[in-house]
Amino acid sequence: MKIERDLVVKVARLAALRLSPEEEATLAGQLTRIVSHFETLREVPDALLAETADAPPSPLRADESGPGLPAGLVEANAPESAHGHFVVPRVVSRD
Amino acid sequence: MPGDAGALLDGSASELSAAVSGRRVRAADIVEIALGRARAASERLGAFLHVSGDDAREAAREVDRRVSAGEVLPLAGVPLAVKDNINAAGLPTTAGSKILAGFVAPDDATCVARLVRAGAVVTGKTNCDEFGMGSSNENSAYRPALNPWDLSRVPGGSSGGSAAAVAGGAVLLALGTDTGGSVRQPAALCGLVGWKPTYGRVSRYGLVAFASSLDQAGALARTVGDAALAFELMAGPDPRDSTSLPAPVPAVTQTLEEGVRGARIGLLAETESVEGGLHPDVGASFEATAAVLAKAGASVRRVSVPRVSLSVPVYYLVATAEASSNLARFDGVRYGARRSGGTLADLYRETRSAGFGPEVKRRILLGTFALSAGYHDAWYGRAQKVRALLARDFAAAFEEVDAILCPTSPEPAFPLGAKTDDPLAMYLADVFTVPASLAGLPAISVPSGLSSAGLPIGMQLIGPAGSEPLLFRLARCVEAASGVAGLRPPAAVP
Repeated sequence: MKIERDLVVKVARLAALRLSPEEEATLAGQLTRIVSHFETLREVPDALLAETADAPPSPLRADESGPGLPAGLVEANAPESAHGHFVVPRVVSRD
Repeated sequence: MPGDAGALLDGSASELSAAVSGRRVRAADIVEIALGRARAASERLGAFLHVSGDDAREAAREVDRRVSAGEVLPLAGVPLAVKDNINAAGLPTTAGSKILAGFVAPDDATCVARLVRAGAVVTGKTNCDEFGMGSSNENSAYRPALNPWDLSRVPGGSSGGSAAAVAGGAVLLALGTDTGGSVRQPAALCGLVGWKPTYGRVSRYGLVAFASSLDQAGALARTVGDAALAFELMAGPDPRDSTSLPAPVPAVTQTLEEGVRGARIGLLAETESVEGGLHPDVGASFEATAAVLAKAGASVRRVSVPRVSLSVPVYYLVATAEASSNLARFDGVRYGARRSGGTLADLYRETRSAGFGPEVKRRILLGTFALSAGYHDAWYGRAQKVRALLARDFAAAFEEVDAILCPTSPEPAFPLGAKTDDPLAMYLADVFTVPASLAGLPAISVPSGLSSAGLPIGMQLIGPAGSEPLLFRLARCVEAASGVAGLRPPAAVP
């Protein structure tokens, strides 16, 4: 499968990444080579896959809430915080 | 006293702990020499991204106080290096990435806390491939780590700094993470013992997540005995990891010398046809190791795990898909290095674009592609089904044998820069380590000999879930025959 540059741009947008034109071209070539090699997975017969359950789920304990980290420790690593909250650019405007 | 302390740092963790526990030497003396060695290993080998200071000295004094009070500490005063994607309270955690520059861990990872409780002293955070993504440590955003056996070669990855720190003489024990071989492969390339546990056996709490269905904490040591001791201390249930196994931890150190007579060993048949070929010295060591185990009383036969040949594509689709989700949290809002933008979306995009390195971006894009509408079923969905087939292959093999032997890496340590222009070539070198990760199985790499160029070679033993006691016994047998454990690399410190 050939990964076209347009697909790289689309996937980068989904992943919230900005790429330079050079990065787009390089990644299109690298991802094409990688994905082409991964096409060996298509050699596994569909009939065999059809009878295969998905990978067994990880063993999970009950999902119970517990105490989080103290707010002071959390805020200490925040790029910007105020009054116990993280500060980000305005999301909603009056316009 | 300091001279004795230096000699102890060249021995084993259990010997050093016995000396501190017997008050023949103080942990405070040990830590001064260990910090000096960590600084030297940082300069010479790029092994550390952060070397501790007064925090380690105070921790060592606390160990001396606990020993004086009569506490029994299995790792009394043992210097410990911690991979920089594992939290150690009050120390930086960058995961080898610029995007986490400035982050200070608010608490200890469970595996760190358990070793510290046992008397270990954290002397620094070790270099690694960014977010654990790499097999050479060349993807560190800060600098590559170097192999103490040959400074022109890689130490392996992603726990390359941990391997360089132990092999280079800075510490006796280091923590790593192993998502697809990141403890075992650098252990093999640096002449060390390295293990990954059964999935869920060691808590993931405090690890920077890469691929959550695969990530595990492990340890690197110079001897099987020290590696086994670390396993016993690190393993066990932890309510802070939802995937932690509830079963009690089997004793592995007590059974280490019980031998391997009667064990059924399968030689992985797919070793002979590995894509890219097997280095002849690795092939010879594989055969010699099989002979060692047979001579010790194990029965040895070939066994096939057919889907091993598909494990690299499966791994790089599953792991990157999970990484694309896990790394979505690095957006410049709650922690890390923020890049300002006009809007919130700009802030996310600019922070991530400036903060992630090329390999991390490549894997995020690959994973996002594999999960995206129109491609999910053909790529991620198919990979998950083949992963289940691989697990079934292993289950069938373990009907016939108790453990599987194969090389850890198809080649000894390769030169710096040899694979940086070809990501696929780097991925393919993981062919022997990713299968156990995908199936959630325990595996251990143990030094089996040296190549004709004098580079370490490691063999891997893989067993069914919960088989760590047997794997450590088998590794002990290989270690005793190989004679690599006591060797000192040419570029070791001081």
